Amino acid sequence: MGNMVRKGGATLSPVIRRILFSLAVLLWAAVILYFYQSGRIVKYLAPDFRPIAMAGGLGLAVLGLFNLLTAFREADCGHDHGEGEEHDHEGGDMSPLASLILMTLPVGFSAAWTKDGFSQATLARKGLYEDVQPSETPFLASAFPAPTREEIENTHSKTADGYLQFSLMELFFATGDRELQDVIGGLPIETEGRIVEEKNDNPNGTRMRLYRMFMTCCVADSRAIPIILEFGKEPPLLPDNGWVKVAGTMTFPEENGTLKAVLEVTRATAAEVPPEEKFLRR
Amino acid sequence: MQMNADARQDFALAFLSILFEGAPFILLGTLISGFIDIYLPAGTMDRFLPKNRNLAVLVSGLLGAVFPVCECAIVPVIRRLVGKGLPLGCALAYMLAAPIVNPITALSTWKAFQGQAPWAMTGGRMLLGYLIAVGVGLIVSRIAMRRVLRKSLADSIENKSHESHKTDEPPSCCGHDHPHDHHHDHDHSHSHEKADDSRLIAAMRSAQKDFVDVGVYFTIGVAITALFNTGIAPGAIWLDSLAGNPAAAPAALMALAFILSLCSTSDAFIAATLAKFTWSAKLAFLVFGPMLDVKLIFLYQSVLRRKFILVMALSVFAFIWVVAVAWETWFGKVVLP
Repeated sequence: MGNMVRKGGATLSPVIRRILFSLAVLLWAAVILYFYQSGRIVKYLAPDFRPIAMAGGLGLAVLGLFNLLTAFREADCGHDHGEGEEHDHEGGDMSPLASLILMTLPVGFSAAWTKDGFSQATLARKGLYEDVQPSETPFLASAFPAPTREEIENTHSKTADGYLQFSLMELFFATGDRELQDVIGGLPIETEGRIVEEKNDNPNGTRMRLYRMFMTCCVADSRAIPIILEFGKEPPLLPDNGWVKVAGTMTFPEENGTLKAVLEVTRATAAEVPPEEKFLRR
Repeated sequence: MQMNADARQDFALAFLSILFEGAPFILLGTLISGFIDIYLPAGTMDRFLPKNRNLAVLVSGLLGAVFPVCECAIVPVIRRLVGKGLPLGCALAYMLAAPIVNPITALSTWKAFQGQAPWAMTGGRMLLGYLIAVGVGLIVSRIAMRRVLRKSLADSIENKSHESHKTDEPPSCCGHDHPHDHHHDHDHSHSHEKADDSRLIAAMRSAQKDFVDVGVYFTIGVAITALFNTGIAPGAIWLDSLAGNPAAAPAALMALAFILSLCSTSDAFIAATLAKFTWSAKLAFLVFGPMLDVKLIFLYQSVLRRKFILVMALSVFAFIWVVAVAWETWFGKVVLP
């Protein structure tokens, strides 16, 4: 117990080192459990990973608290250590203070800085203004076997004014599936997503872009899933990057050699923010 | 480096998401490592593996099928196992193979590649991952430990080895050594109840210490990954331009895997969407990523010497590249028309 830390931190006793390490572990636990408990975790992790994160947060809390509460107790590792050999079950290569700072500052600052969403610049880098190519989606196309129009009507809810409710992901990836385009093209469709300015091929200013994020595991691996909204006139005033429900007729025109998913909009209204962005692997 | 408000927001989101995803797996690994440290008698792994050095490495490459551990969790486990006498070649083979040659990764790869020759991709990934891992293991088993391990870890192992030769005592009835020439202020009573309580505390302390050691490197790796991740798109345009080049595509996707630092249990879902790229380029992505990426470079530094990590990284990169190019040249169209 009287051993002092020799590696990296010459003046800290093992008890203080344990307390510092426990605090670092407890901070991680607190941040993970806070994001889970507050529901904000849905913006960060796919559903499969959320219970794992919660279990991890609880495990860290147990580990940190256990070690904090027993920091002053002596413990016998139960096996032999040679004369002069340093008892290295707790000794580290780095100063405990440096470890504490490196473990806590980035997490603390990130928890303070995050707004649970990417900026427009990063969204653009994550594919907001990219169009899917037909050859890019063999896997995803195979996940949606070409249905008949009747099957589509049976498997999609209809709004009171007769629009079939589609997820944006289905519309986006239909661009890579000729058979699906033939079925969906011309159908009255309602979908929802976030609306932003259309920056590509919009000479008349009649277009906007609708997107959601596609997340496989965590938001860092997410990609934007966009389609084009064609209003045929000046688009209505809707909150930039706000959630909207749009209805209209789906088309897949080829423009400048690229096939695009374009919804010719007849109705667009602001919508409630959904509890999470459910574009996950399905 | 100056960060404006948008950049801070983007960094924080990517950083926390990767951290939330990886922290539980590191905790799992460090809990296992902490309990191994205190409860596993030195030399146990030696007894478990075949006596023949080469055969032991070959078996170690398959241990992931029995003990499936992802690449984040494996590093602290390996650190302890090496300290407990697991031969270095076996440890490296297990460390590199386990994130790939395990049932969870196999299932996710097979699932992600439905419609894209899933059996060929899954089998190819397992086989190439295994071959590289045991190849590295066999080479490392012929290299002096000090050229591979961090100095502090090598010192610790040598001290233990020296001490065990000096005492040369048989293990006691409870399966571990009890100190008879102890020089610490431990309680040496043979009361197992008291000893169990005491050892649990020691195991939890060891686990916490391992978590902090690995957590520091993980934090640095995740921070760098998040910086790359939020600025990855210019690279994506560059990557797309390389997709049709059979030589450049595997190298480009390995570079992408290195930067993205994805978990081996989920990276197949990303690879499956890179349809512009050849089968072999995706295979390179799936084999190289779990062995070497930005966060692993930092995690490995808690066990291995930097020079060795660099040599291993370049060698593995070159080997996978050669295999991928050769495969695409001679057999690629046989697997995926």
